[in-house]
Formats: sequence, structure tokens, C-alpha cells
Amino acid sequence: MPDSLSAALATLRSRYGPQALRRGGSAEEAGAWSTTVPVLDEVLTPGGIPRGRITLLAAAGHGPSGRLTLLQSLVALASRSHDAAYVDLAGTLDPGFLADLGADLGACLVVSPGPERWERGLVMARALVTSGMPWVGVALGWDQPRPSLWEHALAALVEAVAKRGAICVVAVPSPVAAPLRHASSLTLICASAGWQRANGDVAGLRVRLTTGKSKLGAPGAEATLLLRYPRPYATAEVLGLPSVVVPRLQPAVAPEADVAAVAARG
Amino acid sequence: MRVLCARHPHLGLIAALRRYPELREEPVILGGAPELRLPVVAASAAAQAAGVRVGQPLRQAQQSCPAAVFVPLDPAGIARLRAAVCAELHRLSPTVEAGDEEAFGDLSGRHAEFPNEASWASALARGLRGVLDVEIAVGVAGSRFVARLAARASHPGRIRRVRTGEEALFLAPLPLDVLPVDPAVTARLAAFGLDCLGAVASLAPADLQRQFGPDGLRLHRLARGEDGAGIQPAPAQRSWSERLVLDGATGDLETLLRGARQCATTLGGRLTAEALAAVEVSVTFELEEAAAIATSGVPAAPAGNVAELWTAALGLLGQLQPRAPVTAVRVGVAGLTPAAGRQADLLRPGDGAREAVVATAERLRTRFGAATVRRPRLALDPGDLPERRFTWEAPVVAGSAG
Repeated sequence: MPDSLSAALATLRSRYGPQALRRGGSAEEAGAWSTTVPVLDEVLTPGGIPRGRITLLAAAGHGPSGRLTLLQSLVALASRSHDAAYVDLAGTLDPGFLADLGADLGACLVVSPGPERWERGLVMARALVTSGMPWVGVALGWDQPRPSLWEHALAALVEAVAKRGAICVVAVPSPVAAPLRHASSLTLICASAGWQRANGDVAGLRVRLTTGKSKLGAPGAEATLLLRYPRPYATAEVLGLPSVVVPRLQPAVAPEADVAAVAARG
Repeated sequence: MRVLCARHPHLGLIAALRRYPELREEPVILGGAPELRLPVVAASAAAQAAGVRVGQPLRQAQQSCPAAVFVPLDPAGIARLRAAVCAELHRLSPTVEAGDEEAFGDLSGRHAEFPNEASWASALARGLRGVLDVEIAVGVAGSRFVARLAARASHPGRIRRVRTGEEALFLAPLPLDVLPVDPAVTARLAAFGLDCLGAVASLAPADLQRQFGPDGLRLHRLARGEDGAGIQPAPAQRSWSERLVLDGATGDLETLLRGARQCATTLGGRLTAEALAAVEVSVTFELEEAAAIATSGVPAAPAGNVAELWTAALGLLGQLQPRAPVTAVRVGVAGLTPAAGRQADLLRPGDGAREAVVATAERLRTRFGAATVRRPRLALDPGDLPERRFTWEAPVVAGSAG
């Protein structure tokens, strides 16, 4: 490489930051937050949920997809180690359920901007990220306002997340709006793979996750998670911090084996 | 940390007795006329001897002590006394807090004028006695909770010191009702057969946490005298404004913008010079032969210099539609807070981030409503209804409550 080109590159990096220039064809490097769920950390994403990026949990279609339960499970996991914010634009959060998932409620901040207030919710998420909130989950509802009303707020949130190296996971219904598709570095498409039943009761939801878009690795990876519904009023579980998201790799193995493995781990 | 707690009669009672010195030996009840359905705020020693208790209805207090004199609260007098207490404590202590019946001062470290903590505390107590003209009961300990209990255990004119490391020993024989927790928690502790703080302190933290959730850990720390709550100085609620009288009434937008810009420049410079930031910004137009119109707002981040203040004011100017010529422009700032926070611990990653997050959450609550940013908390006794399983509370920095 000629000296003049090296000098020009050094000048540009110095002026606009080290991320301003990178070689084409190489995957971007990003720090990752390990979820401790092997399927998420190894199969779908390299190392976990990327820091400084927007991760989308997108519903594959109408009907239950498990994206909100998965997001709440991730918030619960995050709250055990640091502060986490949950922007509830879907209006579906039950803090009791969050507690049953093992969340440390003292570390959870719930933001309720109101239904269809996407712009306000994204502005509030950005303010929290800018002030140092390390983990933000955004649950978007079915009623989508026009993108022109909130795309600027989304762009500002993307910038703040990148600047602070925060973790931002957005659960979005189908169809995914274009600004969200563009802003995402990692899109996991969630589709229901059926209810998990035990003794005639619904014990959880099986969710098939597909990497729809990834700037960090090759898209197309697939895996299935079992989102086990926690027992209601499970105070002991809140204190015992059990693993709630029980991963199960395809091809499927007997559910009993999984439960035993998790019990041994927890 | 070492905390001094000084207990004194209610500032409202002191203010009333200063106003009516002839009542000094009389039974005096603070709270208002007995016809009002209000509780007793404070009572003089003579009234308490007659059976009057703080919190009971005024009418009931009248029945207990028919000869009592009822006086209303004097907020201005209380504020003056509180300011005087703060000023006196500030002479000898860097961080102070003044309440209605107790005042706190920071006695950490050494004071150059005093050879030891006891003489330092004596000097503070003497100063307070001079300001309030009453005897003060003082407690000194390693935490706010223990200092408060030490002051309660002390007597007027006396200082009760709890040495560092002896907090648990001091607390052990005290009854459960001194704990600043929900009475339901105290009742459950009593139901378990625990009758004093020593019994609670002897339990494992995990056992208490299993029964009471996060409150269990707080209980354990309180019972061992290890509560992290320090002194909470009240933030000064200051507000400034800058008014510019225009050279003749006008409706010209350019002139109004220049006037507002000039006010914002002056105010912003003052904020920068004083290292303060404004939580709220307002703009007022005084109109010719009409009522003034004003608007205010909470900027996304506190405005601490000319550029930030002008950006906030410019956003507000668009909301004002004067229907008459404007004679004067006023830009105001309120909720002034120190622009720079405390010095963060540079060797501890993330130190200070939680405070910043909580400050941001508070700002968002001010801007968008109190119900927009909250922290959930599991209810202690949820009952059978799912919606009663949790309560909402405003976010605060851990350890700053209580």
C-alpha cells in the first residue's frame, strides 16, 4: 500500500473514527453479550447478542411467535448482571411474569410511552442509552405508525447504541417496516413451532429461530428454542434464578432429557 | 462514614413558640384548629404529658387535653428555621440535611479545629442549640439508621456515640418496631418468633431474602447497622430569569428572536459561570394591553450553556403566538442543579452510570409523565389477584432510600 494512501486512511480514521473505513467482504467485528443459552450464543450469533448494534426479533407472520416472551426472557437474564430497560410499546408487559422468569426487578426499568407512541418510546430509549443504560429491550406493538413519524428517532437510537456499545433488542411484529430492517445488524425471525404440552397443560412454546439478516456472520442459521412458561407465583424460582429459556437443538431430543440437564445446571 | 443525628422538637412548634412566647409552659398542639379533620403534627411536652400523641385527630387531642392551645403550621417560619439549621451545620460539616424534627451532618474524617469526634459533635450540638434555643439530643454512628436510633436513645443535652464496629451490638436489644419497613414485614418477623434486631441480624441473609425478597437483604443490613443510606441534602430549588424590555412594542418575529437570544445568552453565560444546568426552561412574552403569554418545557438534557439554552428556548418560541404587540421578552430557567455530578471512581468500570440513568429517568418522567418510566417491585403480600403481585415505584439509586 502506498504511503500516501496509508496516510490518507490514517487521517480519515483519525477524523471520523476507526469504524469509518473497513475492508469490503470482511464481517464486522463486534463485542457480544453472552446469553448463556448455547443456541443463541453459538448457533445463531457468534458469541451472543452483539453490542453496539440493533438486534431484531421479528415475527414470521401473524399469530403467536414467541418474540415477546423471548425478549422478556433476555431482559430477565440481563437484569441479573446489570441494569436493563424494557420499552413496552406493545403494552403487554406483566412485571409479575418478568419476576417469574427470574428477573431482578430492582434492576429493571419499565418505560411505558403509551400505545402507538413509537417515536416517544425510541426517544426515551435513546435517552437512557445515552445516559449509560447497558441493555435496552423494545417491544413494538401491532399498530405501526407511519415510518416517517419515527424513523429519525430510530436513527438516533442506532447512533446512541453504537456510540455507547449498548445492547438493544427490538421485538417487532410482522411485517417489519423498512427502517427497522435497515437499522438491524442481526435479525432473528421467530416462528411458532407448536405448543409444548405436559400432562395435558401448555408448558411452553417451541420457537423456530432463523437468522434472517446478519452483518456479523452468515445468515440462514436455524435452531429451535423451548420457551418454558414459568409457574405463576414462583417466588422460590425468582430467588433461585433458574434458567428459563431452555434451548433445544434440532433434531429434537426427548424433552425430559432437556429438563433434567437444565435442573442439573441450575 | 460517620453520621451525626440531632433530634429536636418540631420546627413548627419552635416557630410557634417564638411567635407566642407566652405559651412556652402551656400545652401547645400544632396542626390547626380542632374543628379541622387533620392530625396532630407536633405537641409540646405539657400536651404530651396530658396524653396527646402525634398523628391522632385534632378533635381527639382536644378531648385528651381540653386546656391545650391549637396553633396552625407556619411554613414560612419552618423554612426560615430549616435554613438557619442548615447554615449552622454547614459551618462545621460539609454535607447536611435538615428535617422537621431531626438534622443530620457528616462527621467523616477529621476536622482541623477539633482533636476528636466527640468535641466536633459537641460543637455542632452547641451551634444548633444556639440557633433553635432548645436542648438537642444527639447521636453519632456509622450510618444514618444507627445515628437516628442513637439520638433517640440519647437525652436532651447529651451525645450518644456508637463506635465503629459496635453498631450491631447497639442495635441487638432494640425492638422490631424501630425498623423503617412496612409494618406487615415487622408483623411477619414477629410471627416467626423474632423479638429484637439481634434476632434478625443472627439470621442468614439468604433466609431473609427467601422470605421477603430484596427487602430481606435490606432488613439484614439494617439489623446489623450496615445500611448504606447516608445524608441526603435537599437540592436547592433555584430559578433565574432574564427580562428584556423591547424598544417599543412589536410583533416582528426577527426582533423577538433577537430579544430571546439576548436573554438566553446572558442566562447561559451565568449558568456556565456557576457550573449549573437547568432542568426546565420557560419563555414569556409580555403583551401590550393584554395578559402575558408563557410556555415552558423540559429539554431532553439539562441546559448548562448558551447553546443548549438557546436550543431549548428556540423550541419553545414556536409555541407562542402573540395576539398583540410584545413589550418585553423573558427567558427563565428552573430546577437548577450542579452541571457536573460527583467524581466517579475511575478504577471501577460503570461507576456513576446508574446515577446518570436514574437522573435521565427522572427527566423523562418530568417531560412525559410520572407513569412513563417506573420500576416494578414485587408485593410482599400479593393475595390471589395477579395485578396485585407487583407495585410501581419511581426509580432511585440503590441505597439512597430510607
